[in-house]
Amino acid sequence: MKPNFIQKVTNWGNFPIVEKEMKSEDSFKKIKDFVINHNEVIARGNGRCYGDASLGEHIFSTKKLNKFISFDRLNGILECESGVLLSDVLEISVPQGYFLYVTPGTKFVSVGGAIASDVHGKNHHAEGCFSEYVIEFKLMTENGDIITCSREENIDKFWATIGGMGLTGIILTAKFKLKNIESAYIRQESIKAENLDEIFTLFEESESWTYTVAWIDCLQKGKDIGRSILMRGEHAFQHELPQNLTKNPLRLKKKLQPTVPFYFPNFALNSLTVKIFNLLYYKKQSKKEVKNFIDYETFFYPLDAVNEWNKIYGKSGFIQYQMVIPKETGKEGMKKILETIANSGNGSFLAVLKLFGKNNPEAYNSFPFEGYTLALDFKVNSKLKKLVEQLDSIVQEFGGRIYLTKDSMSRSSLTNYLKNVQSSKFVSLQHKRIINNNS
Amino acid sequence: MIVLGSTSEVAQAFVEKALQEGEKFEKIYLFTSSKETTERFARHIDVMFLQQSEVIELDLMKEIDYNQFDYVNSNVLFCATGYLGDGTEEGLYDNKNTEKIIDINYSKLVPVMNYFAQKFESRRSGTIIGLSSVAGDRGRQSNFIYGSAKAAFTAYLSGLRNYLFEKKVHVMTVKPGFMATKMTEGLPLNPKLTATPKQAAACIYKAFKKQKNVVYVLPIWGVIMMIIRNIPEFIFKKLKL
Repeated sequence: MKPNFIQKVTNWGNFPIVEKEMKSEDSFKKIKDFVINHNEVIARGNGRCYGDASLGEHIFSTKKLNKFISFDRLNGILECESGVLLSDVLEISVPQGYFLYVTPGTKFVSVGGAIASDVHGKNHHAEGCFSEYVIEFKLMTENGDIITCSREENIDKFWATIGGMGLTGIILTAKFKLKNIESAYIRQESIKAENLDEIFTLFEESESWTYTVAWIDCLQKGKDIGRSILMRGEHAFQHELPQNLTKNPLRLKKKLQPTVPFYFPNFALNSLTVKIFNLLYYKKQSKKEVKNFIDYETFFYPLDAVNEWNKIYGKSGFIQYQMVIPKETGKEGMKKILETIANSGNGSFLAVLKLFGKNNPEAYNSFPFEGYTLALDFKVNSKLKKLVEQLDSIVQEFGGRIYLTKDSMSRSSLTNYLKNVQSSKFVSLQHKRIINNNS
Repeated sequence: MIVLGSTSEVAQAFVEKALQEGEKFEKIYLFTSSKETTERFARHIDVMFLQQSEVIELDLMKEIDYNQFDYVNSNVLFCATGYLGDGTEEGLYDNKNTEKIIDINYSKLVPVMNYFAQKFESRRSGTIIGLSSVAGDRGRQSNFIYGSAKAAFTAYLSGLRNYLFEKKVHVMTVKPGFMATKMTEGLPLNPKLTATPKQAAACIYKAFKKQKNVVYVLPIWGVIMMIIRNIPEFIFKKLKL
């Protein structure tokens, strides 16, 4: 049996699927050989981006770069290889009283991927993007050289790589800061909002909270448009915790992790089932306001509780559509977007609204800027292309942009904000798609 | 713990699993032919578990000076040393390939195993875990040089288990079947029959706690190999396995 590295590769949305070479190595010398011997290379972490960003002709999987290098327990500075997952980081850091400064909605992304996407979380308005806490990283460039990039060294490459979608090279290792926590629990308040006006007011009132996010029922029309639940939270101090949690405040009990056993049939998710799901979710909370303590996994990663949940969208897959619209016109823009979705009947199973704070101008390739961001899941079907075009027009009209990490079909004028990343060596399908559309 | 073949992903996953489960080792001795990769693993377990370890170079293809291992002693030995080499089609008549497969999987490995087995014998305690292979259960045309070396190693472990039983040392034989590791990367393996290093480590750890003698990592392999072993020779020789 001769090895054959051509295989079917797809990211979390199961769309698109490509048949390309994918290889993984853990020795830097072999990685260099891989880079030098191929014309087009793109690095891929755990494949948790949704679209075509980490797909390409020759995919280098960083899965084998999965070792920790050092942990300064006094100052909370961790160094690890780029394929280490955020879940691995949390596993060792939480029991020691440290948490990630910034985490996306899944803990199953790699550290390299978090830098290449410059991920944001529920605390963007207060604490910015992942890159704010990155001290340095090692990058393999086109000719196989390994350079250290930081705010003092190879500064250009440092900022181009952050949010650079892997187009500047392969991130090999990274060193970053963690934040102190006293417990593994979050003090949470969830507040129901009847409509868009109410949820926007709630967001603005909650600006002093570290974490805020809202779940939106995006099939509502008319006066109910924007019906939602706002969740805001803070890392709980030990003295605040209810008695039953004070015994082992930094350790969580192991939970059962169910796995979606197979791809759901195509009819399983339709506008009716989505409507029912959203109604149940909204009605589950009977009171206007609920205050409680929940563990960090439930607060930050509710979807991680079910393994392979992407299969519920069936074999045709799904896309995630995430845009940001400037704050001044945010409400108007969101209203238009939600109306368009409701009228299309193409419901989103999951719609999440957030307020972004000011961007870091140095991190010019990062997606977030001050404004409202909405993330929506859509099943891939024949009507989707048209809906995406309609949504793209609205985003364009309001001066917004699309998150590259989730994109697989948006118009290039909304996704071509990347600068200083042109390379003939590191090329992704996404980048080709954006460039080709431009010309 | 003493680990032979420390770059093996299964060996590393087993070390992590044992530490996660709260096993205590004064020190972990990581024997390896590739110092650089193993040192990365040593730092990794230091960060994760504050576990002290030492990386010791051991190249089975070179002369070994056993005196330098005098101080190495432990109650668990995990041997994951192995070399797949080229299969029949590419490598049968390549003598270098054949020798290397036999040396690393058996002839050069057994004296090293014996050296440590003797230490276990004199302590009158401990467990020796050896990774053999389902390929050793019956010679098949596709890779019987590797298979025969593993068959010899399986027989060695079986004899060693028998010999050390009275001396209170337990010997466990592991037959992993397909595993998704460096050794098999890029081969078209059936995912239902293939274990990840993590799965394998969890299964080996469980068997280690239960003091099992012979274990297949995925139970299905026990069934498959029972069938393969029992096919009459006059039929077996006609099969393309």
